[in-house]
Amino acid sequence: MMRRSHMRAVGVVAGLCLLAAFSCGKKSGSRSTSVHLWQFWDIAVVAPIIAEFEKQNPGLHVEVEQLTWATGLEKIQAALASGTQPDVCELGSTWLPRFSYEGVLEDLTAVYEAERDSFLMWDSALYKDRVYGLPWVQGSRVLFINRELFKKAGLDPDRPPQTWDELLQASQKIGALGNGVYGFGQNIGEKYVLYKKFMAFAWGNGGDVFDERGNVVVNSPAMLEALEFYLKLAPFSLQEKQEVLDQYFKTGKLGMQISGAWNVKNYALEAPNLDYSCALVPKPAADRGEHVSFAGAEMLVVFKGSQQKEAAVKLARFLQAYPQAKAVSLAAGSVFPAAREAMNDPAFTRDPRIKVFVEQSLTSRTPPAHPGWNEMEEAIDHAVEEAMYGRRAPRWCLDDAAKEITTIAARFNQK
Amino acid sequence: MSRRRRVSPVVWLLLPWALVYGAFFVFPFLFSFVLGFLHYNPLNVANTTFVGAGNVTRLFGDAAFHSALRNTLFFVIGTVPVTTTLALALAWLLHAPLPMKDAFKAAMFLPSILSVVVIALLFKLFYAPGGALNETLRALGLQTHGWLTDPATALPAIMAMDIWAAVGYYALVLYAAFTSIPESLYEAATLEGAGHWATFRHVTLPMLKPALGFVLVINTIRSFQVFVEVLVMTQGGPLGSTNTLVMMLYDTAFRRLDYGYSSVIAYAVFILSGVFSVFALRRMRSQTPVQQRGMPA
Repeated sequence: MMRRSHMRAVGVVAGLCLLAAFSCGKKSGSRSTSVHLWQFWDIAVVAPIIAEFEKQNPGLHVEVEQLTWATGLEKIQAALASGTQPDVCELGSTWLPRFSYEGVLEDLTAVYEAERDSFLMWDSALYKDRVYGLPWVQGSRVLFINRELFKKAGLDPDRPPQTWDELLQASQKIGALGNGVYGFGQNIGEKYVLYKKFMAFAWGNGGDVFDERGNVVVNSPAMLEALEFYLKLAPFSLQEKQEVLDQYFKTGKLGMQISGAWNVKNYALEAPNLDYSCALVPKPAADRGEHVSFAGAEMLVVFKGSQQKEAAVKLARFLQAYPQAKAVSLAAGSVFPAAREAMNDPAFTRDPRIKVFVEQSLTSRTPPAHPGWNEMEEAIDHAVEEAMYGRRAPRWCLDDAAKEITTIAARFNQK
Repeated sequence: MSRRRRVSPVVWLLLPWALVYGAFFVFPFLFSFVLGFLHYNPLNVANTTFVGAGNVTRLFGDAAFHSALRNTLFFVIGTVPVTTTLALALAWLLHAPLPMKDAFKAAMFLPSILSVVVIALLFKLFYAPGGALNETLRALGLQTHGWLTDPATALPAIMAMDIWAAVGYYALVLYAAFTSIPESLYEAATLEGAGHWATFRHVTLPMLKPALGFVLVINTIRSFQVFVEVLVMTQGGPLGSTNTLVMMLYDTAFRRLDYGYSSVIAYAVFILSGVFSVFALRRMRSQTPVQQRGMPA
């Protein structure tokens, strides 16, 4: 009796397992071709775009999954390890080079050649003269200016700092207002952020991590000059994490900071009376350098394991096209299409603050497309932070970073 | 009649748990042991190579590991004794006749039901410039401080939070042990003329040894694994001052895609917390008092 009920229990469990296995398995019987897309935006934003794609391509069905910024990367890694990766996937520009290097991405050079001039931000997709991703949306960092504090400090808010000297003087004057007000905001004590701010000055000054031949030049005179200038801002700066800097700016206690478009969206809701404007990141001097900033780009890739390559590339190109990228950008409110068309679209040029972001993206840079970048950026962060804490002379900090980056690069060159 | 041995229903009842335990504990435990001898990168599984003890020898020479180890030991040694002592003091207070005792107990237990992420986010605000701590200091005319951005104070700030979050739970565990000490022992001690301190030292403390052992072991293991707090509050910074072993393990696996080396770090954490726990248990056991033997469990 007992045994029979055991058998029955086993039967039920086995049945459930089979049911589960079938319900998870590929729908081999379905008539349409399924393309799997993993991306980071709200499904509600992407769903109408996908519906349009399916309407235009009868017989193609898209399965969309939303990844989270906190765990998306781990999920992609696990999927690749187990061979269950999607056909099309959104990847951040700082991660793309590693994926290109590992050989898991489909070569999209042909697409690049066809649409090269219509889009910005190709750099991170380039690896050994081949292209492995399509720029979708992007976000530059720009200089935020509190106009009220500018007036209080006797500065002209309609003439934001254009050069390093003007930035320093404005920081000094606003910092002198006292009463808990700071001139400038500098990131410190958190990962993935500091280098984005510092490199804007370094790139603008002609510095870089690698030269054209791939040599590490992170301790070049141009880099050192940028770091020394960055340190000059310190006495008038609030040195804190990004969210604290954003909060200080929102409450009118921070004169200037370099930050992203998410603030424009948030301040409109949370501080509608805040009187601020946006400007290009200052350049070294009126007669030299450039207004360069950091930009993060979201790229669309097709995985090599895809069974539906043709459909996958079609979907990636459809998503990348301006109307779709515009829809995603407007819904997100913190990014802009990578398509050059955005530069002339009133949707992005009507608001003077937003227009600055679009303008800045023309001279913005993404980090070097090196598979070891995630480790290299930590070396740069460490060098700048060490200098900011006054632990060592800036020159030594950069020399150490150069050594570290050379070691990392050598590891990747071995393969 | 040759009857086949009947499988006990206990086995069937345990089976669901055993399957989950096997899939999510035993298998990863063994798999990461194997990974420790490999160079394994999830993006390129086909290129997995055997490196023997390579990952282990790398560990001994890795300055980043040494620094993470130092930070973790500092965290464990700085929090476990303080948490335990405070928990003991709170348990003792609860044991004394107090008004509103239940309210105190509930308040003390409250942090235990909050997610660590929530606590860490709250404390991030608490330590921020303009946060409760700095505003209080300012109101008292004292200097404010960037608690989480100063390499000297970032780790102690996380440790203080950890103590606050953990002490209530352990205090209740010890309080439960307090209430199970027979009154007769205290009466006997009073008859022998023992004072407050002598009673505590020779009756209460020895009777609490098993519960204290539990508190020490659990807290030690948990402290060696400190991670979520760090990930939310500082991500290991500033200047690596809060980079703990599990934080390093996470970075090594998921950012550097070096699962083999990461597994070796995981085993290092496992062995270290094991050694510390055994040490703590041994100390507790070797001093188990004579009175306790023969006492009903």
